[in-house]
Amino acid sequence: MTFSLTLSPSDLLLLLPEMILTFWICLILVVDFAFPRLPKEQLAYLSIGGLTITLGCLAWFDAAGITGTLFADMFVVDRMALFFKMLIVLATILVIVASVEFVHRFTFFRGEYYFLVAMSALGMMFMASANDLLSVFVTLEFSTFGFYVLVAYLRGEAASNEAGLKFFILGVFAAGLLAYGISLVYGETGKLVFSDMTSAQATPGLIIGYLLIFAALGFKIGAVPFHSWIPDTYHGSPTPITAFLSIAPKGAAFAILLRMFNVALAGFKPTWVLLLVAVSILSMTYGNIVAIAQKNIKRLLAYSGIAQIGNVLIGLAAGTKMGSDAILFYLLTYLFANLGAFSIVIAVSQAIGSDEIEDYSGLGRRSPFLAFAMLIFLLSLAGVPPLAGFIGKIYIFVAAIKEGLYTLITVGLINIVISMYYYLIVVKKMYIIEPHDPSPVSISGPMKAVVYVGLVGTLAIGIYPQPVIDWVVAATLMFSNLAGPAASIPPPVPFGG
Amino acid sequence: MSDYVLLYILFAPFVGVTALIFISNRQLMFVRGVAAVSAGICLLASLYLFFNYDTARGGFQFVQRFEWSRQLGISLYLGVDGIGTPLVLASSILLFAGIFVSWHIKDRTKEFYIWLLILAAATIGVFMSLDLFFLYFFYEMSVIPMYLLLGMWGSHTKKYNEMTDPEGLKQRDSVGFILNFASNSKEYAAMKLVLFLSAFAVVALMGILLIYKYSGLNTFDILVLREQAKLMNIPALGTTLDRIIWVLIFFGFASIAPLWPLHSWSPVGHAAAPAATSMLHAGVLMKLGHFSIIRVAFEILPETTRELMPIAAVLCMFSIIYGGFVAFYAKDTKYVIGYSSSSHMGYVFLGMAALNYIGLSGAVIYMFAHAMATGMLFAMAGWVYDQTHTRDIPSLGGLSNRMPFIAGCFVVACMASIGMPGTVNFIAEIMIIVGSWEKYPVQVIVAVIGIVITLAYLFRMMRGVFYGTMDQKYSHSHDAVAVADRLPLLVMIAVSIGFGLFPMRLYNVVRSGVEPLVARITHVAPIASQERETLDAKREARTGTSKSDLGSSDSDLSRATHHVSRREP
Repeated sequence: MTFSLTLSPSDLLLLLPEMILTFWICLILVVDFAFPRLPKEQLAYLSIGGLTITLGCLAWFDAAGITGTLFADMFVVDRMALFFKMLIVLATILVIVASVEFVHRFTFFRGEYYFLVAMSALGMMFMASANDLLSVFVTLEFSTFGFYVLVAYLRGEAASNEAGLKFFILGVFAAGLLAYGISLVYGETGKLVFSDMTSAQATPGLIIGYLLIFAALGFKIGAVPFHSWIPDTYHGSPTPITAFLSIAPKGAAFAILLRMFNVALAGFKPTWVLLLVAVSILSMTYGNIVAIAQKNIKRLLAYSGIAQIGNVLIGLAAGTKMGSDAILFYLLTYLFANLGAFSIVIAVSQAIGSDEIEDYSGLGRRSPFLAFAMLIFLLSLAGVPPLAGFIGKIYIFVAAIKEGLYTLITVGLINIVISMYYYLIVVKKMYIIEPHDPSPVSISGPMKAVVYVGLVGTLAIGIYPQPVIDWVVAATLMFSNLAGPAASIPPPVPFGG
Repeated sequence: MSDYVLLYILFAPFVGVTALIFISNRQLMFVRGVAAVSAGICLLASLYLFFNYDTARGGFQFVQRFEWSRQLGISLYLGVDGIGTPLVLASSILLFAGIFVSWHIKDRTKEFYIWLLILAAATIGVFMSLDLFFLYFFYEMSVIPMYLLLGMWGSHTKKYNEMTDPEGLKQRDSVGFILNFASNSKEYAAMKLVLFLSAFAVVALMGILLIYKYSGLNTFDILVLREQAKLMNIPALGTTLDRIIWVLIFFGFASIAPLWPLHSWSPVGHAAAPAATSMLHAGVLMKLGHFSIIRVAFEILPETTRELMPIAAVLCMFSIIYGGFVAFYAKDTKYVIGYSSSSHMGYVFLGMAALNYIGLSGAVIYMFAHAMATGMLFAMAGWVYDQTHTRDIPSLGGLSNRMPFIAGCFVVACMASIGMPGTVNFIAEIMIIVGSWEKYPVQVIVAVIGIVITLAYLFRMMRGVFYGTMDQKYSHSHDAVAVADRLPLLVMIAVSIGFGLFPMRLYNVVRSGVEPLVARITHVAPIASQERETLDAKREARTGTSKSDLGSSDSDLSRATHHVSRREP
């Protein structure tokens, strides 16, 4: 098989955001080496500047409708890819802002930290555009590579080392599964690009191959039964990296999952719906029930993240355009709520040096702002109106009920109630229990900025979601030929007659 | 003014909340003032709404519609009919009174008023929603403030405070608390309330989603769904689906009502809550259940309602008797009032189950009347608790010497709660009893026994708290003297007696809402014989004979008017 690459300058324009970021990453590295005396905060602001330019470029692409494919359909820039890229870059910006203070905990390599974060972001941006199995493998490994280092960045702490090792071993194992799955699928179909595989026959090799690929992506998003790395890794990593891990790779992996299930496997929908229903039910139930017992806020958010991914999988199981819209919408609301919650974890741990839920006692008195923001984020995660998470959940449920996934919705609804319990336990600690140590908790400027972004996003999307809904609906237009809701509804008795 | 009055009512509290966020807690009077002004605007607008609702025209008025999400078929669709109007009024009266009842809260005053205003605004939002999504939106939104209000400003029960483990430390809540009657902490009460209500809210949400799917209209608009309700009899499932949806909606919303056996969160929550929260909780939050059942189940599934509403008639007996007996034996003032509320809500279900004009009107008027009566009782229980720091009836007594004004108001509140002629409760009770006598004589007898039990436990509590000998440690307690302290009670008494003596306005408003609803439920063809070929004829019959339908409900009406006019002095 030979590739004949014909790249015109206009084709390369499609790569502009990635090229900007690549250039900027090199710039960060060079500046870091060239000016060793430079305060590392300046590097943070430098990377934020580069990422903001990238974000602006992506927004321009999105607004101008610049789309297309590159490298024989391996790399696709459509509006969904742009959506996920913007999600990833936004998350990266917020994570770097939240890291400005946190970086002081690292004893060395403070400059490379920003380089690694931006590099992972670059890998995930490519992931969002991956349109064939080979680029899925390469981009996935590329993005995970930075995380292997970042998770173990607190080299003096045993927990961080453990987290890094666990993440690395399981990550490499997942990569092996992915490579094996790709080879099986390629052996059966002789094709790698998703959109070419639609006519494949369901041979055992193909099924096993796709199951292995799904397992690798399931590892990435942390769905049960591929979740076992999540709690320890989340617990041990530096908290900004935990926040980063909790949203950006999941978004990127969902871009691939959407393309894989809705394009390559659209013909096998009745089969994979069962798989996704099972994984979704397991994720929601396991994540929520185990989260009840957690004493550490990072572990609580880790398990709640597993449950949230179960919710997102409901949208994937619906397998319609509306389901895809709901996934995009949900991930955006999850970005604001989850990053907001983690930024408060960072702020609190900087002030009191602890991540235990017990130490959140009386936060409502010690820092009314932090406690209020945490309340909003947790309630948004729980799905309480008028916050963004509520609309996201309703969107997902509406998409699923149109496909008649009653069992899944029933389990999802029950899980809302279970999740409310442990989120409210944190609320109880913050507001009802009196503080052991009533000294006020202060919050630094950059952290405050992240919290404000989270608050504005959560409240604005919750109160008036129409612009975001329009955006996600436009972003997934390529799925509009999927079996829509009209096909599954029995013909109604005509009114009046 | 008139077009946007619903927006004023709904958003005045939210504007107040926004303003409060930016005010420092140190400016105590300013915080109270902002809360009182926003509640006052809400009350004035509600009064305007109540007195300008066109009863001759009926239907949904003051309608406001804003597209919210095209793709999901959601719009912020507000409007009130004769059922919603009095409940909106009741909510804003109780909010206004609640602001003054909690005038003396010193701890985190600003936050208290923020959550109280959100709670009240959310309940008001339910009463004016004409969109299923927003009905659920506001319904769920009203639950969370309860958690914080109970947890932060509530109080433990006496038994919980006395319970210690061998080391002399306070015992924590354990699973055993579920079985230990009246010995729970406020955290337990708050969590139980939220989880219980959320759990049943998602049951109702499932019903709403099923309606959304099987109507096939891609809309949450109640009025559209109401007109096209026939679409839901899809051939494959027949009427089974309607029944499933009805049961989901009914029990989902009945939990907040609270219908026996789904009531257990309610008295626990009442007891833990601060006075103003109990008032809103018992006064309007519980009515969300009845209202939502009327708005969703009655409007969209009228035929199934007629078929299945006897369930409510059976369960309401247990509500009435069980609640009454527990209230009789309870020793905690707030438990007594809490169980009395849950018992009285059984009357509303009885009136609703009668499914005729008098019964349903009685139920709606009863909701309004009960809001006032129970609001007064809770306000005074709160006052007594603030003064004596106990709610234990046996240890109280003789307080009428120390607080004559409160004792006097308490007598009035008891009279109202029992349904003494001259209060609006009497009219409501008599209408429920008359309306349901033909269909459910047994339940009516139970209801009358319930009134006697009410008399017994309220008098027992009155004697225990205000008469007899007074413990000397309560000799420092004060009466409500300041205007701000007396105002809420006087407002609620004035409303209760005012509408008791001059009920025609309230009655006319309720009639204009109930009449078309009862006509819809009563005069459609039985669901079993609903073959395709007869559909046409029936629909014709429904529109053609609407005059005679109204005629028959007119006779209902004249009977009711007869009863009411007899009571008028």
